[in-house]
Amino acid sequence: MTGVLAGIVGLFVLLLLFATGIELGFAMAAVGFVGVTCLVSFHSAVNVLGRDMWEVFSAYGYTVFPLFILMGQIGFSAGIAVRLFDAAHKFVGHIPGGLAIATVMGAAGFKSICGSAAATSATFASVAIPEMERYGYDRKLSTGIVASVGTLGNLIPPSVFLIVFGILTEQSVGKLFLAGIIPGLITAFFFILIIYGWARLSPALAPRAEKSTWKQRRASIPEVLWVGFIFLLVVGGIMTGFFTPTEAGGIGTFAVIVLAVVKRDLTFKKYSKSLREALGTACMLLMLIAGSTVLGHFIAVTNIPQIAADWIVGLPLNRYLIMFFICLIYELGGSFIDDLAFMVMATPIFYPAVLKLGFDPIWFGMVIAVTVMIGVVIPPVAICVFVVQNISKVPIGTIYKGVCPFLISLVLIGILLFIFPQIALWLPSVLMK
Amino acid sequence: MEKLLDTVLRISKILNGIAAAALTLMIATTVVDVFLRAVGRPVVGAYEIVGLICGPLVIGFAVPLSSWNKNHVSMDVLLAKLARGNRDVLNVTTRIICILLFGFIGYNLFSVGNEFRTAGEVSQTLHIPFYWVTYGVGVCCFIECIVFICDIIKIWREEQ
Repeated sequence: MTGVLAGIVGLFVLLLLFATGIELGFAMAAVGFVGVTCLVSFHSAVNVLGRDMWEVFSAYGYTVFPLFILMGQIGFSAGIAVRLFDAAHKFVGHIPGGLAIATVMGAAGFKSICGSAAATSATFASVAIPEMERYGYDRKLSTGIVASVGTLGNLIPPSVFLIVFGILTEQSVGKLFLAGIIPGLITAFFFILIIYGWARLSPALAPRAEKSTWKQRRASIPEVLWVGFIFLLVVGGIMTGFFTPTEAGGIGTFAVIVLAVVKRDLTFKKYSKSLREALGTACMLLMLIAGSTVLGHFIAVTNIPQIAADWIVGLPLNRYLIMFFICLIYELGGSFIDDLAFMVMATPIFYPAVLKLGFDPIWFGMVIAVTVMIGVVIPPVAICVFVVQNISKVPIGTIYKGVCPFLISLVLIGILLFIFPQIALWLPSVLMK
Repeated sequence: MEKLLDTVLRISKILNGIAAAALTLMIATTVVDVFLRAVGRPVVGAYEIVGLICGPLVIGFAVPLSSWNKNHVSMDVLLAKLARGNRDVLNVTTRIICILLFGFIGYNLFSVGNEFRTAGEVSQTLHIPFYWVTYGVGVCCFIECIVFICDIIKIWREEQ
């Protein structure tokens, strides 16, 4: 059997294995192991399996994941999200769609300490939806916006997605973080515009909340400042080169712990719970990466990435059209298996082609992040929608209807990135030369 | 049977506790290192403590409880549509694949650990031997196999 044929058969078997309900990371490792056995030898395959696992577990670069995930978990357990939402509520709650706008602002703030899309949606599903229901908000809007704000997690640093992408493609995590800021904020701004427009057109959908006094507003500001300070500390430390991403994760987690302890919001019980949750998520993520590393060794032996790159580059099409098709593959692939898992699996295959086509790797990261943002809110596998449905018990069809208007923002930011790559590349080019 | 399940769960929780302690040590080491580096006295070997010792402990030791709690991403959309009997057959098959996989990983981690031990491999700055961490993660892989056996027992018990 030739390498390429073995690779194609291997990928087909992998998709079949996914359908059996096996853990995706384990499936990738199993196919990689069998593939190396077929193409090289059983002895080499056992060796690759053990060494790849050890290298992923003991790599300093990967220790960043448990740290950033723990930072978000502690922020959640300590109620930081609740207070950020509360602060935004006091400032904008009285305008049309104000509570939904407060959800976007609170989530964008919370995102600066929490790296996960699903965790952000889960947090705001329990915080913002009950509050919006209290004021009589339509469930389409309340659940739709909460499912959509989770997607900001892919762009606004410290994004776990961007760290994974950075490690897979050996790009600077600091540059990726900076590149995500402007697109992330523009997306949040689009969300706000859509909510405002929607609420103006149908005021019954989002009744106004009472106006807060300036005294109440001022009282809520310190919380926002603290979170802003932690964000600047983490991103600034990486950007200036004073911290490695792992150190930034450690310092950020420590700062969130200090903030929570000072405010008497963190008990030992809550800390232990956060540790357990963070370990579960980090373990899942690292097993995906370890599995894809083993699979990557098999794919490398087959020569598929090089052949795919040559074939893609040789296509008689405009390079932007090719990039559009690559995004479509990520979208379709991510719709049937987990988006992050598909990104981990597909990036090593497409990345050489993207480089050969002359695209900037940082820009490619942003485009893929936006593609995956769309994937986490559209069927069949829409993790953010599932999380909101699970917590709010609102029918899934209602949530999908609510998500539709916000999808426009995500598609629009994708188009803007294609037309104006500087939206992503300007900040890193100015701040990290 | 109940006793076996309880024992495996308890062991998985203990290992997870070790992983949690390692994660806390990781935070403490990085924070102390950054602060002391600011005054020109970094923690010697912080990089090794975090990467070589804490990293494998954090992830490797959390694997059994993560699998017990079904934290790993899987695609169960199609599985849910199957009849109970077929679903159980498929689940048992995938558990067997996982047992074989982690059996091989555990076996090879012991080989890697043996290599580190016989070659006298130590970390570059602190000169800490780290073969014991490799053995530890290897043991966790074998416990992971037992977790999958427990999954099969649970499926079999539900069938009864």
